[in-house]
Amino acid sequence: MELYKLTASEIKELFLQDKLSAEEITKYFLNRIEKSDEKLKAFLKIFPEKALKSAKALDKKKKENQQLGKLAAIPVAIKDNMHIKDEITTCGSKFLTNYKAPFSATAVKLLEQEDAIFIGKTNLDEFAMGSSNEHSAFHPSHNPWDLACTPGGSSGGSASAVAARLTPIATGSDTGGSIRQPAAFCGIVGFKPTYGRISRYGLVAFGSSFDQIGPITASVKDAGLAMEVMGKHCPCDSTSLNFPQETYTENLPETLKGKKIGVPWHFLEQLSDGAKENFLASIETIKSLGAEIIDIDLDILKYSIAVYYILATAEASTNLARFDGIRYGVRSPDAQDLEELYDISRDQGFGEEVKKRILLGTFVLSAGYQEAFYKQAQKVRTLIIRAYESAFETCDAVCMPTAPTTTFKLNTIQDPVKMYLQDIFTISSNLAGLPSISIPSGFDSDNKPYGLQLIGPQMHDVFVIQYAHAFEMATKFNRIVPPQFDKEF
Amino acid sequence: MSDWEVVIGLEVHTQLNTKTKLFSAAPNHFGDEPNTNISITDTGQPGSLPVLNKSAVFKAVQLGLAIEAEVAEFSKFDRKSYFYPDSPRNFQITQLEHPIIKGGKITAEIDGQLKTFEIDRAHLEDDAGMLKHFSSFAGVDYNRAGVPLIEIVSTPCISSPKEATAYVKALKAILEYINVSDCDMEKGSLRMDANISVRKVGEKRLRNKTEIKNMNSFYFLELALESEIERQIALYEKHPDEDPDNVIIPGTYRYDTETKKTVMMRMKERAEDYRYFPEPDLIPIVLTKEYIESVRETLPELPQQRLQRYVSELGLSEYAASVLIVDKMTSDYFEEALTICSNAKSLCNWITVEFPGRLKEAGHTLYSIGIPAKHVANLVAMIDDKKITGRIAKEVADDMVKNPGTDPIEIVKNNSNYQPLSSTSEIEPLVEKVLSDNPQSIEDYKMGKKKAFAFLVGQVMKQTKGKASPEVVNELIHKRLDSK
Repeated sequence: MELYKLTASEIKELFLQDKLSAEEITKYFLNRIEKSDEKLKAFLKIFPEKALKSAKALDKKKKENQQLGKLAAIPVAIKDNMHIKDEITTCGSKFLTNYKAPFSATAVKLLEQEDAIFIGKTNLDEFAMGSSNEHSAFHPSHNPWDLACTPGGSSGGSASAVAARLTPIATGSDTGGSIRQPAAFCGIVGFKPTYGRISRYGLVAFGSSFDQIGPITASVKDAGLAMEVMGKHCPCDSTSLNFPQETYTENLPETLKGKKIGVPWHFLEQLSDGAKENFLASIETIKSLGAEIIDIDLDILKYSIAVYYILATAEASTNLARFDGIRYGVRSPDAQDLEELYDISRDQGFGEEVKKRILLGTFVLSAGYQEAFYKQAQKVRTLIIRAYESAFETCDAVCMPTAPTTTFKLNTIQDPVKMYLQDIFTISSNLAGLPSISIPSGFDSDNKPYGLQLIGPQMHDVFVIQYAHAFEMATKFNRIVPPQFDKEF
Repeated sequence: MSDWEVVIGLEVHTQLNTKTKLFSAAPNHFGDEPNTNISITDTGQPGSLPVLNKSAVFKAVQLGLAIEAEVAEFSKFDRKSYFYPDSPRNFQITQLEHPIIKGGKITAEIDGQLKTFEIDRAHLEDDAGMLKHFSSFAGVDYNRAGVPLIEIVSTPCISSPKEATAYVKALKAILEYINVSDCDMEKGSLRMDANISVRKVGEKRLRNKTEIKNMNSFYFLELALESEIERQIALYEKHPDEDPDNVIIPGTYRYDTETKKTVMMRMKERAEDYRYFPEPDLIPIVLTKEYIESVRETLPELPQQRLQRYVSELGLSEYAASVLIVDKMTSDYFEEALTICSNAKSLCNWITVEFPGRLKEAGHTLYSIGIPAKHVANLVAMIDDKKITGRIAKEVADDMVKNPGTDPIEIVKNNSNYQPLSSTSEIEPLVEKVLSDNPQSIEDYKMGKKKAFAFLVGQVMKQTKGKASPEVVNELIHKRLDSK
């Protein structure tokens, strides 16, 4: 049976129908990881024993006719900036190579409660800062469509693993596009929910007012399934939305009849030829599904990168201040006094990109500069929120490409600003806290995937999933597996 | 000295007596084994998040209402960045831009006069841990990290060290009355920072100020302020022609209790840039008018209200009342005694003057040594009922201090020397004896010398060892002399 071609929802059905045991499913994916991850380096840690133990326990549970969770027997990989109690959480940083998590993230706990099987932890740019996975302190992950290319970032490990079908579901975190851009680069689905929809408790913070956990999956329905589990109010996170859990996977529509989809045409004028062609084709598909395309003005998004790199780094500079070598993490043995303990531990523990962002964030908050940078950026953030609000008065969702390009070769983009431009289409959703999804929308001439992004108003997560599902049903790009991994191992 | 004017502003940090910490469910409790009252939030674990303790907000609102301040319907938290091992996240969560309490006032008694001090603001923030130094290393105890603090900032309205202590004492009284803090200064529940400057009387502009940090006793607060004021004035007088801005360098000082001088810690130019910005992990505190009113209903009688009642209903002087109310325990003690004995003035005198005088040396108070309010009330009642004289009462009080817990009624009953000579038959022979021993005084009295009469009374009292009622003695002597 070609299990790898199935979605999580389909695998779960086989398990429920007694066609496969949880142990068989888990072994199957552990084997795929074992055979392929040497090439992909998507995982930082694999839990073979633990996963098999949970699988066996689940099989027993099923035999005893106990109630089974929504994710029963589904292997799930966790991005390594979310805590699984008693496992190491590295955040892709040397600083935390010895950091054993003292508690589980709420999202992790919810997945566990619904009988998901944790199969491993995935690679990321250090502290989720990066768009190419090259800033992982350990090694970059590779793109299953072209191993010389990046899977994107920062949730590159999760996207690479799901695209190569090493796991049906992985978690990601998205501060400026870190779920959606890798999903686009790897030809799969990545969903960033409304800010506050999934608890951030147990997610190591990067930019607290931007960070959002979300699922990376091979189908929109699977993303919905994961949302049904993780999208729950959490009293441990003050910014968690106090909304009941929602149903995503039932009555998924296959048309967009009566929907108005907004496109910021003017803002998209700079798109490269290939990306534009792909985007126009997607728009045609959307039209053919019955939606009306509306021109909207989101020109203000041209400021989103500048605003983001001020605000997110400001928050990051303080969020990362706790990594000082005193309570946990790396403490440099070379330090002679307190000042050196801070300086050397942080110098040795953090990579270049993280240092760069801490410096930037510290600078924009400094006396004499805060007014010109931090406070000004806050104002523009408010303007961006308002621009979206007025756009949503005329449309149900906004449609844009996920990224300006398809995946690129590792170690080819040296200019940081060029790298930051990777996030030009994704960042504004984080600035405004909007639910956004990236879905596969076709391939370029080198057979590298494009992603299409749909953005909804706050709390319209279910609708965004529904629109994306209709698009997916019409295109089925998600069913195409990268050739090297489109086989049994 | 007289042509100089002192300007002081105080920042008082008070630990709120909530059950748990400001942002975590760890116990807020002093004195336990290091690092036992901690949670993932208090040690700044990655992935941990703060959750605001509603009871701390409640207590802050109580304080705001008690000092007649504006309780903000919208307030929020900010991050204040600085690196130090006692700060688990290397930033403190405090309220810079939108504090929960704005304005307010505190009335205190200074040299028999009531003065009202203006509050600028009060805000919530979390306390830091504590560094402990050992011979070869230092450790950090995070038990205190995250304990809720309310920082009460006065305007620069305080004009002497004496006023400063009076202000803090009055504030402390309010905090104790509304039971938001134990105000135990020895445990660090109430700590003070002072901003001080001096200027020539009549000058409009404030001169450079210095800050003295972290004082935790009234004694050192006064000493530190006095020494800093002296230092500043001496410097200005030494450099009368210099621009004042160049004479006193703004900076942070601490008071050295050994040298009794203020010592500079750092200059203002080198002060840290705290890079304040809004705390993204917490949502703003939004309070409805209904909530604020419901908190107002929980307020007990406040110190100044009590003072007014003591003056208008009990007839105490303003001074006596202010001495009583400034310490909640003393005032509560007085209230308890008042339920047994209604002589408020006499009770007040025994509670605020007589007994403290007897207990001061041992460093005790009536309640710390274990004399129940009932006993003081009984003592006063015995005087009022003429069961003992004032002089004997003082001796009984001495005995009460020696044997705390023994009822003065028992003390009097068991000591024949304290039994009053109330029957005239016992006193009359003594009067006879004194009169026959002092014929000259009788002559003098009859010549109209009032002093002679007092002398005779005194002689009789002496014979009775003070056990007779002076009024009875008076009466008896009058009867004898005036009937002749």
